[in-house]
Amino acid sequence: MKNLIIILIAVFLISCEKDIFPDLGTSFEAVSVEAMLTDQGTTQTILVTRTQPYFQNEFPEKISGAQVFVIDEDSTVFSFVEDEVGYTWTSPDGNPFGQVGKSYFLVVEVDGARFVSFSQMGPAPEIDSIGWEFEEKNSFIVEDYYLAQFYASDFEGPGDAYWIKAYKNGQYLNQPSEITLAFDAGFGQAGNVDGVAFIQPIRQGINPFDVNEDNLLLPPYLIGDSVHVEIYSISPEMFFFLLQVQTQINRTGGFGELFAPPIANVPTNIINEDENDSEQVVGFFNVSAVTSLGQVLTEELAEEARQKFDEGL
Amino acid sequence: MKKVFLTTMASLLFFLAQAQSQFTLSGYLTDASNGESLIGATVYIDEIKGGTVSNVYGYYAITLPAGSYNIRYQYIGYEDKLQQVNLTEDSKVNVEFAAQDQELEAVVVTAEAEDMNVSSIEMSTVELDVKTISKLPAFAGEVDIIKSIQLLPGVSTVGEGASGFNVRGGGVGQNLVLLDEAPVYQSSHLFGFFSVFNPDAVKDVKLYKGGIPAQYGGRLSSVLDIRMKEGNKKELDVSGGIGTIFSRLAVEGPLVKDKASFIVAGRRSYIDVLARPFTDILDGGAGLFFYDLTAKANVDINDRNRVFVSGYFGRDVFNFDQTQGFSWGNQTGTVRWNHLFNDRFFANFTGFYSNYDYGFSFGENELDKFEWTSQIKTYNFKPQFTYFLSPKNEVSFGGEALFYNFEPAQAIAVSLGDVTDISLDDRQALEASLYLSNDQKITGKLSVQYGLRWSYFNYLGPGRAYEFGEAVAGERRPVQSIQQFEAGESIASFNNLEPRFAVNFQLNPVSSIKASYNRMNQYIHLISNTVASTPIDVWQPSTNNLDPQQGDQVALGYFRNFKQNMFETSAEVYYKWTKNQVDYIDGADILINDFLEGDLLSGIGRAYGIELYLKKNKGRFTGWGSYTLGKTETLVDGINYGSNLTTREGGWYPTRFDQRHNFKLVGNYQINSRSSLGATFTYISGTPTTFPTDRFSFQGFVIPVLDNLRNNVRIPDYHRLDFAYTLENIWLGKKNTKNEDSLVISIFNAYARENPFSIYFSQGSDRLDPNQPVQTSGTQLAILGTILPSVAYNFKF
Repeated sequence: MKNLIIILIAVFLISCEKDIFPDLGTSFEAVSVEAMLTDQGTTQTILVTRTQPYFQNEFPEKISGAQVFVIDEDSTVFSFVEDEVGYTWTSPDGNPFGQVGKSYFLVVEVDGARFVSFSQMGPAPEIDSIGWEFEEKNSFIVEDYYLAQFYASDFEGPGDAYWIKAYKNGQYLNQPSEITLAFDAGFGQAGNVDGVAFIQPIRQGINPFDVNEDNLLLPPYLIGDSVHVEIYSISPEMFFFLLQVQTQINRTGGFGELFAPPIANVPTNIINEDENDSEQVVGFFNVSAVTSLGQVLTEELAEEARQKFDEGL
Repeated sequence: MKKVFLTTMASLLFFLAQAQSQFTLSGYLTDASNGESLIGATVYIDEIKGGTVSNVYGYYAITLPAGSYNIRYQYIGYEDKLQQVNLTEDSKVNVEFAAQDQELEAVVVTAEAEDMNVSSIEMSTVELDVKTISKLPAFAGEVDIIKSIQLLPGVSTVGEGASGFNVRGGGVGQNLVLLDEAPVYQSSHLFGFFSVFNPDAVKDVKLYKGGIPAQYGGRLSSVLDIRMKEGNKKELDVSGGIGTIFSRLAVEGPLVKDKASFIVAGRRSYIDVLARPFTDILDGGAGLFFYDLTAKANVDINDRNRVFVSGYFGRDVFNFDQTQGFSWGNQTGTVRWNHLFNDRFFANFTGFYSNYDYGFSFGENELDKFEWTSQIKTYNFKPQFTYFLSPKNEVSFGGEALFYNFEPAQAIAVSLGDVTDISLDDRQALEASLYLSNDQKITGKLSVQYGLRWSYFNYLGPGRAYEFGEAVAGERRPVQSIQQFEAGESIASFNNLEPRFAVNFQLNPVSSIKASYNRMNQYIHLISNTVASTPIDVWQPSTNNLDPQQGDQVALGYFRNFKQNMFETSAEVYYKWTKNQVDYIDGADILINDFLEGDLLSGIGRAYGIELYLKKNKGRFTGWGSYTLGKTETLVDGINYGSNLTTREGGWYPTRFDQRHNFKLVGNYQINSRSSLGATFTYISGTPTTFPTDRFSFQGFVIPVLDNLRNNVRIPDYHRLDFAYTLENIWLGKKNTKNEDSLVISIFNAYARENPFSIYFSQGSDRLDPNQPVQTSGTQLAILGTILPSVAYNFKF
């Protein structure tokens, strides 16, 4: 889709855009909970803040004095203690948080309101390897470049969901266009591609496409660059949440806007226990297993990729 | 129900058989220069101070008591023909009209007889002829039928690049677009920039916005009836043009002189051909082009039988290399047979096949790819009869049977050689209807048209029917059970009666009051959840979970002409109410989703407005002005519920195409016999949109938060001025009197207004340090934010 839009723009260099800051009405400052827990590391942090006016370009402020804890299915309580940024759990015994297959219950209490949620930790598949492809420069990309892809397979049986995060030279690729999601081995529940290797656009969803000042694309990877891939297991609910986050925030502009669905609220899996309480809540709670693999694009790997290209593979 | 209908029809036929003491005057009205039949030409009989008009095949018939009559045949832009007829038996008078001298009659705005707009029963309809359309300024200089009808009252679009058009607050998918009786599901090339109808092959365009006659059905808002040329019956003609986007060529001529003719007309965009030397973007199989081919042949077998065969093939292709890209296209084939049982009993039998397909593919090789195609095949048989009963009654009846085969997705995903077929099952449906209608002149001043249409829809197996459970209003409903149906089994069926009524009270020869009511049912739905409708939108039949849409409309109008038909004016008010309007849950999954119905919501709608129209028909300066004040709203539970967080009871909200003011000015000035200047001005209120109020962060992303209100703000208004200068006989036309050519210079968006298409909200695209907050902004997008000059050369020899 991205390529298509580039072609359209190349042909019709006539659309134009300008930044505007219209009056957006009164902000209602709902409670916002970011609870993305993993089986990695010995500390886990949950952020409890308030939503802010859309054009307020500041970090949200922490809500102080909240009670935050997680209970697992064996009634083990994980207490999160307020610190400078948010609420943090520290492993008492050096063991990481959580276990695949177990269910977790989140409780956040703010000014008498009680917000709860639930998540089960699914499994994440191991990444077998990372491969490189060589491509010559073209009208879109300014120099010869390398594309990375990771090889991993979805577990048998429908209903597994994953979030693939990538890092180039240690920097997390966090553009809206870089959200790579998989439902089983494919893009979504509807077209169910199950139990096979992730389809190619997902495997290659770890390549950054930054633009230079002339709006031309820079090579995703060159010799000496490193890539690091993480697969987070996520709940199907989290998958739909992120899919809608992507729809809402990945705005290509230009002709792509013809295809844009209307702006809408993204869902949340956190609920206010008191149905009649008007305090709204946004955010998500998920407990993920994480697998990862990294690689540096060495001269040898690059040579291999170039040879394959020359052989037309 | 069916029984009542058949009984009525039978008794009517019996009644018809009784009326034999009179004689019928009938015939075909054609253009003398090329034999094209003339649609809507008048036959006026002095003695009865009334008459009739020719139908879409150029046929007219009127039944009169024996006697001598002075008959005046009229068609604007052509010389009147006077004929004295002594009617002692059924008589046939075919009339060939000669075009008026261009010097005298500079331009005609519509090919419509004097005061027809006042005297005809029709209201809420507009007709455009291609001659008029071709003098209007056009985007990129390409004469365009869909863009031209957007200059008429009550018709609008949500912006450049959006497919289709909106009529009186209706959705794009609620218009029935017919090309020679065959439905066209997607009327756009290059998304919505151009329409698929080649102006070289089109004869007549008529839009029904209200008071829709009983012969039409199946969509709520409007019927756009496009008739193709039959082809020159006298001599071979070649016409064409070279434009900025398209090159066009049309060949027409007689197969057997005065008996049979053909026309073949094609267009192709050639930006890809022109661009190839300058860029390597198009190397490696990339392509961006669109084309259409229209062909038609007709034979007059004898006085009583004519056969027409026509076809349309159009396609848009956007490939970014050999294996990746997307494409869509329409193919239609129509066979029609006009048969006269006797001079007063006209019949037309239409059979057509139409296939609309679209799809996309990506992936670099056979081991890793994704391919998706989708299509709708339609098979149709449509018998239509007109009985010219008496000077006071013209009875129409007939029916239609449509068989749909929807193929929502033929799709495979291949990953490292493992193939997964994610196709959805085909869906079949049968839509049938019967109608009966009478045009009756009660007195010289009062005429009525009343009719009834019975429509029926059957969603058929083989297929699976889903039953969905309850969910909070506005959220995805879970699948509860699945039931398998065998081939031919009915999964869900519906039938409805659709009354149609129109009345004209003529106050005097130049003014009248008209009123109409119509009920329409729509059994197939355009599923589109994007800002603008696009060619890859899905069509979905009514099912056990999706009821047919139903709409009612009343309209009242006042029509008045001034100065011997030099000025036509009209004022109409309309009110529409609809039910089972389709809407979508937030995050609806529309493509390749077996459980799509669980993502659809249903609501009610209402639209109302006033349309004012002033047209100058004659003189050096011709043109029209139109103004529409309108409002259109929807009410759906789960949308626009604001602070009703527990019940999620929705409030009325404006639809995406709710545009309060819609003002158009169209003018054409004939400078001299060779040159003319045209101008159009468009002003439309900004379309509604939704703004967020808050933002929150999640994993480094900034996400907008809304107060659960929909379309509560407006983007800035749209306005635009265009010019076109036409110079005739510049080269070919100079050499030989028979040849014609012209040069059209257009300026689109003359004062370079950056008309907003949409406003969207997004986070910045800079890569930030984790200790820097993410920036958010609003962006106002103009699709065509600049002045666009263009040149086109047209020829005919």
